[in-house]
Amino acid sequence: MELKKEQLINLYTLMVRTRKLDELTIKGLQEGKVLAFYHSGQGSEALAVGAIAFLRPDDYAWGHHRGHGIGYLLAKGADGKEFLAEHYGKATGSCLGVSGFHYADPELGVLGAAGTIGSVFPISLGWGLAAKKNKRQQVMVSVFGDGGSNRGTLHEAFNLSSVWKLPIVWICDNNGMAQFMPIKDAYAREDIADLAAGYDMPGVVVDGMDVLAVQEAVQAAVARARAGDGPSLVEAKTIRYRSHSEGSPDVVHNQPRSEEKIEAWKKRDPIESFKAKLLEQGMLTEADVDKINQEADAEMAEIEKFCTDSPPPDVSVLEKLLYAE
Amino acid sequence: MKQTIYLMAIREALDEEMERDEKVFIIGENVQQGTFGTTSTLVQKFGPERVMDTPLAETAVAGAAVGAAMAGFRPVADMMFADFMYIAGDEIMIKAAKWHFLHGGKVSVPLVLMAAMGGGMKIGAEHSMCPESIIMHTAGLKLAIPSTPYDAKGLLKTAIRDNNPVVFFYHKGLLGVPGEIPEEEYLVPFGQADVKREGSDVTVVATSRMVHLSLAVAEELKDKVSVEVIDPRTLEPLDIDTIIASVKKTGRVVVADEDNRRCGVTSEIGMQIMEKGFDYLDAPVQRVAAADLPIASGFMEEHILPQPKDIVAAIEAVAT
Repeated sequence: MELKKEQLINLYTLMVRTRKLDELTIKGLQEGKVLAFYHSGQGSEALAVGAIAFLRPDDYAWGHHRGHGIGYLLAKGADGKEFLAEHYGKATGSCLGVSGFHYADPELGVLGAAGTIGSVFPISLGWGLAAKKNKRQQVMVSVFGDGGSNRGTLHEAFNLSSVWKLPIVWICDNNGMAQFMPIKDAYAREDIADLAAGYDMPGVVVDGMDVLAVQEAVQAAVARARAGDGPSLVEAKTIRYRSHSEGSPDVVHNQPRSEEKIEAWKKRDPIESFKAKLLEQGMLTEADVDKINQEADAEMAEIEKFCTDSPPPDVSVLEKLLYAE
Repeated sequence: MKQTIYLMAIREALDEEMERDEKVFIIGENVQQGTFGTTSTLVQKFGPERVMDTPLAETAVAGAAVGAAMAGFRPVADMMFADFMYIAGDEIMIKAAKWHFLHGGKVSVPLVLMAAMGGGMKIGAEHSMCPESIIMHTAGLKLAIPSTPYDAKGLLKTAIRDNNPVVFFYHKGLLGVPGEIPEEEYLVPFGQADVKREGSDVTVVATSRMVHLSLAVAEELKDKVSVEVIDPRTLEPLDIDTIIASVKKTGRVVVADEDNRRCGVTSEIGMQIMEKGFDYLDAPVQRVAAADLPIASGFMEEHILPQPKDIVAAIEAVAT
């Protein structure tokens, strides 16, 4: 679909906010305010934003653990305050300070986040099944990493989603690394999208550094899902700028990752390259860019203050949360 | 009241709840035919979209049920053999059990995971387990284990209406057990033990098939010792108050369950009796459980599973 100017600017703004919230989360961790851990998503902002920004409010979405879903969540309309407050362990966090780093907002179609890699597949199958049963042309967009693609759960869920023609868009964020394990030693082929053929669904590879390429491929898959034609697989080639988790060594097996290769990818940074394109096309001016950055900085300052000022949870919440009424 | 059998009581509960609430659906391997008869014939009435046959894919069955439950449906996932639930450990023990808590109560998982447990069919270590303790151990899961047609129907209807994940273990050795159920609708609440037989000398806390063995033993011993048989009916929540009240009366207690002995249901119930009823005890708590071995097949099965003679021996040990 041909995007309008404000849609293009929205994509750019979402990516800027995603990057800044990622940086703020790292800062919080370094200052000891973020209590658990953090898996930075820097480098995959175009995928997160491009995949989610054009969904309907009642569509379901699952962003994976990289960036703890920041880009996917912001693009779905989530509140950055609740995201970071959860990481701060505060009562105002998305999950009342109980999860530490997960986000849930059923109103936005974000029904949860997981700590076990590959568990995205069976649960997404259920959300996709619910979407089909609801008969409202909802879709389920389910994002996993190349590491998750090695789980056997993928097979069961891909297979059934196709047999049942569920409205699911499976998206693989292939950044080539599963913690310290390179995909070349974990998967025999080059493209994970090749798996799609075995399940009789379309499989495409896109440049995950190009937000427009991502949104185009995902929107085609979304259209197919809404039409009742079943699932698709979109694989985006991305890069992980930082180590697996903040503070962990940045290695391939046990050897340092090539900085040269990372720097080469950074030359195609999704935010910078999209900005350059929009400036060149006259969609953005330098003044617009400054304004977007300033507003995002102000938002981050507000988020940080909110998190700092928020109270810790009351311990009485724990027993109450075990069962639903 | 009308006469029925255990498996028909289960099917009636499913039928009535599917009729009552269109959000209820059954999903599992070959549920349209129904391996144990519990889900049979329902597809004729409700169609294949509400009685969903799946391929042999346990993580997909449990995961699809968990996801659909979170999105507003009330699935009943039939895992066929209770042993097979281990395959979907993440979906059952992590996702279903923890996601309401983990996400600050923002999402709920109103789900029933039902499966046939237990031995007696001589079909070995991967088809005869009673994995009650692992479910009871997992915070966030409720656990119902009915012993009679009345309890089976009433507990399953309660399970389907509960807004939390409930594991419903029916015993495959009880499928044909007869019993009476009301003509009209009824529910059996969770967390209310049932005194299946009153007595004054020894309390036997028995679950599932052990209830029937214990009742037979109690009858056999009636001239020597007066045995009270209590069926907790749900292990989470557990009605420890009714058990303690009985122990207060008898001073002597045997706990009988078919799960393995070590860290099993009998360990937990026995320990709770120690914590809450020690002063009423006139003898150490005795327990009857499966040996700490895999459930052997064929002729060897009876040497692993608890037998009536073991219940007799335990009663005699506490009564003297």
